Amino acid sequence: MKKHIVMSMLLIAALLALSACTAVQPAAQQPGAAPAEGSGKLAQIKAAGKIVVGTSADYPPYESIDADGNFVGFDMDLIRAIGERLGVEVEIQDMPFDSLIAALQEGKLDAVIAAMQATAEREEKVDFTIPYRMTKDAFAAAQNSTLVMEKPEDAAGHSIGVQTGTVQERWVQENLVATGLTPADKVFSYERADQAALDVANGRIELLLMDAEPAMELAKQTGLKILLITESTAEGGKSIAIPKGASDLKAELDRIIQEMLEDGTIQRIQEANGLP
Amino acid sequence: MDFVQNLVTTFNFILQGVWVTIGVTLVALSVGLVFGVAMAMARVYGNSFLQAVAAVYSVIVRAVPVVVIIFILFFVIARFVNLSPFWAGSLALGFASGAYQSEIFRGAFQAVPPGQMIAARAIGMSKLQAIQSIILPQAVRLALPAWGNEATLVLKDSTLVFVVGVPEILRRAQQVSARTLEPFMAFSVAMLLYLILTLVTTQVLQWFERRYRLQM
Repeated sequence: MKKHIVMSMLLIAALLALSACTAVQPAAQQPGAAPAEGSGKLAQIKAAGKIVVGTSADYPPYESIDADGNFVGFDMDLIRAIGERLGVEVEIQDMPFDSLIAALQEGKLDAVIAAMQATAEREEKVDFTIPYRMTKDAFAAAQNSTLVMEKPEDAAGHSIGVQTGTVQERWVQENLVATGLTPADKVFSYERADQAALDVANGRIELLLMDAEPAMELAKQTGLKILLITESTAEGGKSIAIPKGASDLKAELDRIIQEMLEDGTIQRIQEANGLP
Repeated sequence: MDFVQNLVTTFNFILQGVWVTIGVTLVALSVGLVFGVAMAMARVYGNSFLQAVAAVYSVIVRAVPVVVIIFILFFVIARFVNLSPFWAGSLALGFASGAYQSEIFRGAFQAVPPGQMIAARAIGMSKLQAIQSIILPQAVRLALPAWGNEATLVLKDSTLVFVVGVPEILRRAQQVSARTLEPFMAFSVAMLLYLILTLVTTQVLQWFERRYRLQM
């Protein structure tokens, strides 16, 4: 039995060593490999004739799945329009939000569009295009709540729900918990925003902090009221995430997004999906 | 009427995930069966090296949460072999199930009286021949009840493959509830479907158990 334990340990060590080597691999590839081969990510996508895009389809009106099983929403319409201008087919792959970055890093996806913001932590792992939409956040509470909010810090001391791994969660941790304004046990991290909204509606927590537009949608459906819409908790805008070092893909996507912002395509898609 | 219509739409939507769940479960069970029987044979009848390999496989895999194995297989190993999420998830689940199945079959092999092996060897059968024609047919029958239990566990563990993006029953339920904001309805439908799948599985396996019972 002792021999087995020793062998188990050795095997685990070997596995860790393997993952350490492979973890370095994509980073080592990125500066030189793309130009050297003369066929970067963009060329690969064009050669394949399709771009594989990851999303987490539980976030209307950005991305969700309709009754017929189609991907719908602002991000979905946008990425299809981008695919058209790239001249490739768009294949959408649904994953949990937390798996998206890992899948992108491992080359399982060519891009991620999931109402995602380019935070510093994420930018260490992947690259981002220019924002295709600037964002605001909303604080929502139950209809009968007596809370009044004038600034984000007014949330201090109240129980608050956020979605795991989002910028809002980090804002709460850094500005309310780390500063001692809110005890850590009053912050609840949900896998999905709609679960948090239901808990607010049921009175289990007082506040919900999330992106403004889906918050307004959720508020309508679950009977919440929006207390405050603010830019100060949000960081910049929503961007498409692409693999680290895919500079040709970034240049092309940036160009298309800029073009779509200027010719009103993005505005049109926003309105079609009920976004302000 | 609105409620009924919602229910029908929800049900039809989640139903499409049933085939994915069945597919994942069947692949995982088959892969696990191959691994399980092979490792159990190595454990009981192999030389000391094979015994150690089988023991290490069983100890490590059973110590690691299945979801971690799925992640490792999809994100680390699949870098060298291009696997689709369905196959990566199913194979990982099978690899994990193999460890549990190896314990089931180890018990079954050991339950066959050792004198049978000695007798088979004495009349000139090779070890492999003896396992194939004498031990295995009995061991499989002995293993069936515990194996049936493992089958239902794998069926339920198939919910885990969603972390790599396989739209099985549970994920379909999540998608509906995100859209309709009626999680109770969505998850009730999911529960009903899992219940039906489990009941069918256990019935089928019980039939096998009765049909192939040992008359000792």
